[in-house]
Amino acid sequence: MKTKVTGLVILLAVIAVAVVYASVGRSAVEITEINGYVGGEKIGLLEDEDVQEILHDRYGLVLDYAKAGSIDMITADFEGRNFLFPSNQTALELYRQINGDPLKSEIVLNTPIVLYTHSAVAEALTGAGMASVKDGVYYVDMVKLTEALEKGTKWSDIGMNQLYGSITVGTTDPTKSNSGNMFAGLIADTLCGGVADESNIDEVIPRIQVIFQRLGYMESSSSDLFDQFLKTGMGAKPLIAGYENQLLEFAAENPDTWDEIKGDIVMMYPTPTVWSSHVYIALDDAGALGIDALLDEEVQELAWEKHGFRTRVYDTPTDADHFGVSGIAEELTQIAPMPDAETMDRIIKALS
Amino acid sequence: MKGKRFTAVILLVFIICTLAAGCGRSGESGGENDDNISYAGGTLKIISGSENKELEPILEEFERREGIEIEMTYKGSLDIMRQLGEEDIPYDAVWPASSLWLTTGDTDHRVKHAESISVSPVVFGIKQSLAEELGFVDEEVSVSDLLEAIQSGSLKFCMTSATQSNSGASAYIGFLYALLGNPEVITSDDLQDPALRTEIQNLLAGVDRSSGSSDWLKDMFLQGDYDAMVNYECLMIQANRQLEEQGEETLYVVYPYDGLSIADSPLGYVDNGDDDKEGMFLRLQEYLLSEEVQNQIQKTGRRTGYTGVSEENRDVFRADWGLQSDRVLSPIKMPATDVLFECLDLYQTDFKKPSLTVYCLDYSGSMEGEGNRQLVQAMEQILIQENARKNFLQASENEINILIPFNGYVIDTYTAEGNGSNLEALYDNVKNQMVGGDTNMYAAASAGIEIMKNYDLSKYTPAVILLTDGQSGGSPSDFKAVYESLGVDVPIFSIMFGQADETQLQQLADYTNARVFDGREDLTEAFRSVKGYN
Repeated sequence: MKTKVTGLVILLAVIAVAVVYASVGRSAVEITEINGYVGGEKIGLLEDEDVQEILHDRYGLVLDYAKAGSIDMITADFEGRNFLFPSNQTALELYRQINGDPLKSEIVLNTPIVLYTHSAVAEALTGAGMASVKDGVYYVDMVKLTEALEKGTKWSDIGMNQLYGSITVGTTDPTKSNSGNMFAGLIADTLCGGVADESNIDEVIPRIQVIFQRLGYMESSSSDLFDQFLKTGMGAKPLIAGYENQLLEFAAENPDTWDEIKGDIVMMYPTPTVWSSHVYIALDDAGALGIDALLDEEVQELAWEKHGFRTRVYDTPTDADHFGVSGIAEELTQIAPMPDAETMDRIIKALS
Repeated sequence: MKGKRFTAVILLVFIICTLAAGCGRSGESGGENDDNISYAGGTLKIISGSENKELEPILEEFERREGIEIEMTYKGSLDIMRQLGEEDIPYDAVWPASSLWLTTGDTDHRVKHAESISVSPVVFGIKQSLAEELGFVDEEVSVSDLLEAIQSGSLKFCMTSATQSNSGASAYIGFLYALLGNPEVITSDDLQDPALRTEIQNLLAGVDRSSGSSDWLKDMFLQGDYDAMVNYECLMIQANRQLEEQGEETLYVVYPYDGLSIADSPLGYVDNGDDDKEGMFLRLQEYLLSEEVQNQIQKTGRRTGYTGVSEENRDVFRADWGLQSDRVLSPIKMPATDVLFECLDLYQTDFKKPSLTVYCLDYSGSMEGEGNRQLVQAMEQILIQENARKNFLQASENEINILIPFNGYVIDTYTAEGNGSNLEALYDNVKNQMVGGDTNMYAAASAGIEIMKNYDLSKYTPAVILLTDGQSGGSPSDFKAVYESLGVDVPIFSIMFGQADETQLQQLADYTNARVFDGREDLTEAFRSVKGYN
């Protein structure tokens, strides 16, 4: 017994030496570790081993993060952080207002705001004239939906007797997180009948408040909301706002599960919708290294193929078949600009 | 492909480190005993809702497979939320019942990788015969229907403390909605309604017994003789299995259609910057989310995965117990965070049934020095309201606190009604009492029970709390005679100090369906737990 153990120890020692030798030999690149706040919907991409490998091997970067809402992170403590990676340009504008121009910033990824629901709800919304199907893609009429949200139309009014209460769109907290924030922007645009700005926002703010107060407690992270949507069922989360990339990523990462549930899950594009532009804000020189790395052509390719982000290269997803998700809009023609940062700030304050 | 090799190298280094650590450890402990499991992979400390206690066999299997030790600490989900707000979080992972508490607690964004492990709705479990009598079997039932039965006195139930545990908080918020006539969402204005105050007070007065966390509630329910409880669907299944085994009447599960809540059981990593721990955590999470283990978890009565309960496990969710695994679950809307906390504050200070607590304080000779110092400090935490408020322990307007300092005899009795200055004044008595003499905790507990005879106990949640080292003379049988003459189920809790000996205290706790806590290890926790039962 004893001799065997000694043998093993020697063997391990030899391997250990070999390993140390090997790793010393190849570490020509100096590795920089950077850390930042990241919106939850991008974590899948940053945790992707292939992405991490490219970042490490080509750019000498190890990217660590803490999850935070896009609005929340702007006012958080930056101590020990090298970058922020929120999900919209409003966050960048807010950053500028508080801290001045960042060292460097760049839009790295894009994805539209969509609504997720279950097939029975999608049918009811279509029957009620709030949604329509064209070429296999679901579109939601924002004017009609907003009207129902404001009026407090019950689910049972549109034939969904198994659901309790009024029609609501579950969102993340618009004062903390981006998807909810952008959906609030979209509602503001809809109520203003164009792009909401400082001249017309005050009139519609009480109406926005009514719609959001009805939601009660709101999640602070888009990924948590989406996960709950999938796991807690139709009664708990009949209709939510999220990013297009969330479902594409889920389908790419869990093809078997997706196969089992795809009959029930429906993605719908609001008409118009807004683009979520995920902008990388470098807080210092080390943080700035992340921009080039994330714009690496191969990283951008992986961002679409495995995580569903529309990137510069993949504006129009001509090759979306691999997701196995039906109803992906090839091109989104009806896009509304988000209200500017001052206007969004007014909305955030009104909803706080 | 260079990167792949790098990963492989890292992996190898890890394996070697693991093996080396393993050798070191078994070497230290003598190394001869092969039965001793050595956790070469390290330890993961998890703070978790007590409902996960049922998953321990599954966690033990992980320990065996991976050589990683799991150290579980159980607390109510709201206590976990408070822990997350502390500067120092002495755990590697959190596992509350609902992500609501994780999100509201994690203000510094220290929790990472949080993923729902399973889902279970909060439901009402009512003894089969009573559920039939009330007309709840095979019917659609609303929270208001349940309220009616409670208000008319035909349904008494147990729930966990709304300020400590997720299931209790969910039930309480569900009641508020029903009493307010189901508004779209509860607002701060709604809470000011005096009619609501009276109604919720009456309703909570119907709470038989309460507890600090859901699994403890289930255990208490099984030991006592109660009609109904609010708890997770999965714990109803566990309770029914045990009831059936004991040949007792099982519970019929009622899902109110206007909803209680759904627990999504998120397991998250507390990022203290230790990469090894993070790796261990991710292995545990991967294990728990693997197909095989998700299936095992489903067999315990939890809903897992995205496709509902599998054909294989249909019989776990037995229809004759009222379980409906494919029902569309409509949870209540939780109010906005600030309103939610206002609701919880009101529960503690105004709405819940006032407590009638007798503190028996040991001033015998054996408590001299350290023991006495600990006792005085403990009472400072509960009597001085500024301290109490920090832990949601503040006294309510109508509660009664009685102090009985004792040694071989009862030294004196002090009573304070309400939460005014006379309550804080009791602290002077605690501080100034001299230490010395023999110990007879039975005499003190008996005196406490005698005092309770002067009160209408149906209006209070009564409890006796012994603060002692537990080494007592006196006669247990004399005490039992007094206790039985009261005819009310009053728990005798103990908080141990000094050179504590648990034996006698545990006997008292077993006899009265209560628990013994160690005041030397975590005092706040002990008080919170005791108060939770209040």
